[in-house]
Amino acid sequence: MHNKRTVRFSIANNQCQDILSTIRVICIITLFGFSASGCVNTTVQEVREARTGLSADQSIVILSRKHKTRDETENKFTDCVSEKTGTGEQSLAVMPEQEFVDHLFPWFEPRTAPLNLEDLEGIIERPLIAERIQKIGVRYLVWIEGTTQRSDQAGSVQCTVVSGGVPACFGFLSWESGSNYEASIWDITKGINVGKVNSEASGTSFVPAVVVPLPFIARVQAQACNTLSEQLKTFIGA
Amino acid sequence: MSMMNRKTMTLIGRTVFIRYVLPVSLLVTLMFATGCAGGANVKVNVNIPDPLVQSVPIRMGIYYDENLLNYLHEEDLDYYGEYSIDLGSTQIPVFDRVFDAMFDTVVPMDSLSSEDLNVDAVLAPSIEQLQFSIPEQTRSDFFEVWIKYRMDFYETDGSLIHTWNVMAYGKANQKNYGAMQRKKRPALTEASTWALRDAAANVSFEFHRQQKIKEWLEKY
Repeated sequence: MHNKRTVRFSIANNQCQDILSTIRVICIITLFGFSASGCVNTTVQEVREARTGLSADQSIVILSRKHKTRDETENKFTDCVSEKTGTGEQSLAVMPEQEFVDHLFPWFEPRTAPLNLEDLEGIIERPLIAERIQKIGVRYLVWIEGTTQRSDQAGSVQCTVVSGGVPACFGFLSWESGSNYEASIWDITKGINVGKVNSEASGTSFVPAVVVPLPFIARVQAQACNTLSEQLKTFIGA
Repeated sequence: MSMMNRKTMTLIGRTVFIRYVLPVSLLVTLMFATGCAGGANVKVNVNIPDPLVQSVPIRMGIYYDENLLNYLHEEDLDYYGEYSIDLGSTQIPVFDRVFDAMFDTVVPMDSLSSEDLNVDAVLAPSIEQLQFSIPEQTRSDFFEVWIKYRMDFYETDGSLIHTWNVMAYGKANQKNYGAMQRKKRPALTEASTWALRDAAANVSFEFHRQQKIKEWLEKY
């Protein structure tokens, strides 16, 4: 009797180990799903109004508009563009946004930042400002506007605990995401607009769930950041 | 056989529950609990850069009243919790930096009386009101802070030359904080920081635009 019980426990334990191993594999697959991407379509447009060029002692700064109370560009996106533009091939010298704003305090605060070239002229013609701009070596201001939005969600995923205490999810969820950003480039030393670069990305994310949900996320914002950064490098560095 | 399978499944279920489901559930519950917990206590600590403005060649006495020095805003938003925003001590360095840039010489004063002090005039900022809102109230993405200051400008004999209000505004977008992140305190801190920077910018510009102050400055 004792031996039968020992055997039963041994078999049960082995089965348990096998199933736990299977669950571990499923979790790894889920993590893979998170890192896998859905399809993303990207479009980039560029309008040039003047020549550009950056010498070794000059830099650019990537800024976002902060005076709006809706559709404010995400900090994460601006930081991404700053980082991508300042690294990799054909990288440009990029001054961090907050450092630039602090150098020229209080002329680029949300309330006081120039909204158009006329405002910019009024600022840069002041001797103190012109001297500071010369000192910090910033040549181009890149104003980023736009957001990433999610829409057209369909389906659902329901999770429950099935017999035996094992959690499981079932269903299918999908949604559309769209990123639309525009960068306006100003030459701060001349007070002119040198052009615009626009980056649009759209994609569909979906989460099929059969016991374990497998998300496939369309990383539209990341793709928009990559394409905008590459285009800025080409545009300004030309 | 069926009894063995039932026992096996129960053993598996218990093991999965204890090893995976319970810790994850506890973690998620804790994150939701802390994220959704009502209220926040905010102590603001702001350092502003030196304003890039032209200084006026006068000796200005500066007086801060007790209310400004110790300002603490407390508010109960009922369903959304209790909030406090402690501005008090951080406002002084902000105003000091602004006034140091605006005037050639700044003289701190313990009272509005400027006898025995070699100053040309006295400026006394005071705080009238602070209001704030959270996204749950406004159905927007922003934590917002409004601060209303009053600036009183006195002659050395104590007569009031001019008084004007300074409205300051700051906001923080909740999208800049993670979905599961405890965001109320850092977001309100950020909004308060931007409001104080806005106040500093406003004071830097508005002083020179006041008509009565322009007329007074013509003496210098």
